[in-house]
Amino acid sequence: MRYVKIKGDKIYEFLERLKNYGKLYAPVKISEKFYDRKEIDDVGEIAFDYQRTIMPAKKYFIPPCEEMFEIDMEENEYREKLEEVEPFVIFGMHACEIVALRILDGVYLNEYPDIYYERRRKAGIIIGLSCLPDEYCFCNLRRTDFVDIGFDLFLHELPDGYLARVGSPKGHKIVDENPDIFEEVRQKDIDAFRAFEEKRQEMFKFKGSFDNIRYILELTMQDKLWDEESEKCLGCGNCTMTCPTCRCYDVQDIPEIGGKKGKRIRFWDSCQFRSHGLVAGGHNFRETKRDRFLNRYICKNSYFYPLGTSYCVGCGNCTYFCPANIDFQENLMKIRGREVIHE
Amino acid sequence: MNNMNNMNNVYSLYKCRVLRVYDLTEEEKLFLFRFEDAEIAETWTFTPGQFVQLTITGLGEVPISICSSPMRRGFFELCIKKAGRVTDKIHELQPGDVVGVRGPYGNGFPVQEFEEKDLLLIACGIGMAPLRSVFMYAIDNRWKFGNITVINSAKTGKRLLFRKELEAMRDVAEAENIRIIQTITRDPDWPGRVGRAQEHIKYANTSPENAYVCVCGPPQAYHDIFTKLIENGYNPRNIYVTLERRMKCGVGKCGHCIAGSSTFLKYICIDGPVFGYYDIISTPGLI
Repeated sequence: MRYVKIKGDKIYEFLERLKNYGKLYAPVKISEKFYDRKEIDDVGEIAFDYQRTIMPAKKYFIPPCEEMFEIDMEENEYREKLEEVEPFVIFGMHACEIVALRILDGVYLNEYPDIYYERRRKAGIIIGLSCLPDEYCFCNLRRTDFVDIGFDLFLHELPDGYLARVGSPKGHKIVDENPDIFEEVRQKDIDAFRAFEEKRQEMFKFKGSFDNIRYILELTMQDKLWDEESEKCLGCGNCTMTCPTCRCYDVQDIPEIGGKKGKRIRFWDSCQFRSHGLVAGGHNFRETKRDRFLNRYICKNSYFYPLGTSYCVGCGNCTYFCPANIDFQENLMKIRGREVIHE
Repeated sequence: MNNMNNMNNVYSLYKCRVLRVYDLTEEEKLFLFRFEDAEIAETWTFTPGQFVQLTITGLGEVPISICSSPMRRGFFELCIKKAGRVTDKIHELQPGDVVGVRGPYGNGFPVQEFEEKDLLLIACGIGMAPLRSVFMYAIDNRWKFGNITVINSAKTGKRLLFRKELEAMRDVAEAENIRIIQTITRDPDWPGRVGRAQEHIKYANTSPENAYVCVCGPPQAYHDIFTKLIENGYNPRNIYVTLERRMKCGVGKCGHCIAGSSTFLKYICIDGPVFGYYDIISTPGLI
């Protein structure tokens, strides 16, 4: 891997230059407690110390609502709606979110590639940024605290700048085209990088292997914990909307007034909604709130073969944004053996 | 729909014309379709057990199992139950009307593996629709299979799918070692066999140790059928079922058909809809 360094005083110049490669999206502070990613005009507003954004980066690849086809009712035609996708740069993606994007790749670019997603994915440049965990983070347990691929550049914080890993031809291009921004990595940078990584590992709340959770969860599906926790759940779907790997969508045909034209749209859906498991004739595969609540735990903890990780990347978004204070990580820890409630 | 769209877009629709409509029961109709594009019509094929996504312009899309044999190129049949907004509208279709179709999707039954073996098909209610595709395929390739039995069951005689078609071929079929058993559970006036499908497994002409079994029915029916099959000596390894979900995309994206547990999470649309017996019993939530 190619490593370069960005000197501390060049970082804003670097961000300014990123605009040459496409629209720049980066996290900014939007309220006392929350950050969100938005298009950046003034690079000075970018927040480097953010933990999580209210909307995960998936929104740039799978918009919350998009028109797939334009319907011509008179001609009986569904005309593909593929708008020009302009290049864009997402700055400041954490390791977990980059892994999440690769999970989405595995789903959306499988043997039936989704052209809408694919076009945006190709247009996007990913600039990763190192982070320190808070009490909601458990990416270490998910083995997603460090990424090897899936980014163009990945910036690791140093006391006097950033150590950048180059992860793709696009990343090499950015480095080569801006020689005044980058410099060689020196021994003291490597020492600082190592110290940062060490400090980071120590900050995680829980340590150890977590992969057996899949089996334990499967064996404890009758546990009382699920009754109690699902009782608290409001069924709002916030956890799935803020999840960087949740990707369920619904499709609807919306006729326009006049009835001659219409749209086939798709929009984010959630397994926490009652309609999600409904089939023709009224049977529901996830009839109760408990079924739906548990479904998310099952889905997130199951194995994603192409990457060898679970669908959950341990970002902690679902817990952080839950209005009912349901702690996803804590529940898994309980089911895994700490204070397990038996019947 | 065809020609207008990028062939690389998996969600693109192809126009299909309704050629004939048959009334099967009060709730189900059978539709014969042909792709408008002659080339697609002649080359399009599928495996029994696969499904298509059918669009009524402006109203929406529904996943429907194909119920004809893939050997009859150029045409395909769908048996559709009136069960909601889109299917209500489908029931109003007349010959000449145009719909949008994409597919086929999913893993069908492993029909190649079935070759040279006996074949037992067990259908409850609408379950006959996907199994009819297997049955028709087996008839079209009669020499490839051993004895064949179809057990078709429903609550009442009026609701028995493909009743007339199966009745009409019964005697001829018997001479070809194809046994057709139609049974009813709740109809005092029914002159034929009564009882649930599993109670008739013992009358099948298939030899348990040499047979493959395909089952399709409502989720609650499977357990009893499995028990009876195993009691009668059928090999669990050779039992296949086909499942239903509300697939929105058909290509493993939208997540509506995700089912299973944390060690076996499957998209029914691309990993199924056909699953083996061991998949079913080791995975809570599949049925």
